[in-house]
Amino acid sequence: MLAIDAREVEKTFRGGWMRRRQTPALRGVSLQVEPGAIVGLLGPNGAGKTTLLSILATLLLPDRGDVKVLGVDVCRNPTAVRRRINMASGNASFLWSLRPPEILAFYGRLYGVSGRDLRRRVDELIGTFELEAHRRTPYNELSTGLKQRLALAKSLLNDPALLFLDEPTLGLDPDVSVRIRRVIAELRRTRGMTIVLTTHYMREAEDLCDEIAFIKGGRILARGTADALKRQIRIGDIIAVRTDPPVPAMLADAQGVLRCVASDGWVECTVDAAEKRLPELLRTLHMEGVVVRGIEVREPDLEDVFVELAR
Amino acid sequence: MGTRNVFFMFELLFWPVVGVLTIGLMTRFLDVTQEQRSFVLIGQMAFSVVGTCQLDVAYAVLYDFWSKSMKHQFLAPIGVRHLTIGSWLVGMLRGSLVFALTGILAWWAFRFDPLAAGLPATLALLAGCFLTAWIVGVLVCTLIVLFGGRAETAAWASINLVLALAGIYYPVSVLPPPAAAVASGVPLTYFLDAYRAQFGFPAVYSNAIPTGLALAVLYVALSHLALVAAVRRARRTGQLLKMSE
Repeated sequence: MLAIDAREVEKTFRGGWMRRRQTPALRGVSLQVEPGAIVGLLGPNGAGKTTLLSILATLLLPDRGDVKVLGVDVCRNPTAVRRRINMASGNASFLWSLRPPEILAFYGRLYGVSGRDLRRRVDELIGTFELEAHRRTPYNELSTGLKQRLALAKSLLNDPALLFLDEPTLGLDPDVSVRIRRVIAELRRTRGMTIVLTTHYMREAEDLCDEIAFIKGGRILARGTADALKRQIRIGDIIAVRTDPPVPAMLADAQGVLRCVASDGWVECTVDAAEKRLPELLRTLHMEGVVVRGIEVREPDLEDVFVELAR
Repeated sequence: MGTRNVFFMFELLFWPVVGVLTIGLMTRFLDVTQEQRSFVLIGQMAFSVVGTCQLDVAYAVLYDFWSKSMKHQFLAPIGVRHLTIGSWLVGMLRGSLVFALTGILAWWAFRFDPLAAGLPATLALLAGCFLTAWIVGVLVCTLIVLFGGRAETAAWASINLVLALAGIYYPVSVLPPPAAAVASGVPLTYFLDAYRAQFGFPAVYSNAIPTGLALAVLYVALSHLALVAAVRRARRTGQLLKMSE
């Protein structure tokens, strides 16, 4: 049984006078996720990532399409789905006057955990997410990083089989982000949890996800492992050159150069094949009397794929 | 803890106590009879109980709305009924405390004994107050889920409709006929009428308790269905997510 089986999901938001203004958010999205996988949803702002996640988490109803989560229809039986899933958002907010253990206890009760079990679970999560020193701090006095850790702790209260993470490291310091990524990886390793996350950070997706789906304009444009996507998109190789004087126009006109971008004294050329074009480019620069101060050849990373797809 | 409890205690004590004191003192200034004083004090106490309990029911949604944590509540495997019944139980507890406190105050300051009507009549009045509070509170929740912040004032304003129509400070017979017709559709009107009859006031309605109960049950069911429909609509339109941003 698939952890997620969504087929041809459509969602349009309506607003304005008589709800005439229509904003399509999802246009026939299909997504299948195997149990135990970590899947990343990547895409520019307004692509439909959070809409898809919200539908899968039963917070939003689709206009059309079939959505089954852990084998249960999210429209027909949302309560059964909710028992086995949970969600943490990058911009999560909880009752502002409560303290971390009180927040966890409150939501724990909503998930049917009570008494000694609840106290044990709360203590365990407070420990795991290093919130011990902030037991008595009201929620609205916690830092962004602590709030994020608390949101993650809350999302594990019911030991979910499927966890949705919406921008889990949004706005966090790099060291906190790294710690949270480690926790996410650990969850899959130790508990076999299926995780679907949305993120803007390519590094995060590349580090954590078994599979990545690129969403844009409410459609999944590409899907696969990070390496497969790089091959699938075929955006060529990248040759970065630092010259004296800078000559981006000359490089852009050279044969086999698909695109040139200049920044910080470097010119990044995307070429069809680096092994063929590098000697040609160097020869052209030498003949024109341009001094080459630095050169770098690399395969496109996920960020390049993202930029290409988001065009 | 202290800061949070100031708000809690203020809501529990301040308004109900101020209400009974000002109304009681006004009756002293107007030099009304003890029966008339009992009439308005009963109304004031019932109003305080309904007000406190309905706010607690509304808090089922209001607190999450204020703290933008609505989606977490609806992500949990609980139904709308769990939210409203849970907060109603808290409301009944606080409402009972308000009734006891204002009752002691009314007895001490104005020689009005609310238990003189007997325990069954007092419990029937409290039941009427709590059922009315449920209806008003759930309707406030419905409006907030439907319209968000625009409906926030309904939490405080709606109870005043009950004040105007249910015969809190005057018998419904003094209302203009159209308003009196509307008042006869408010359950609390019947429960107040039955309770006051125990203090010798002529009953306006025959079978007041069964009629009030039947109306209350009908409205409880309708308001519950309205909230369920509102939550479903909010899931369809994305309002649930907007209230969490």
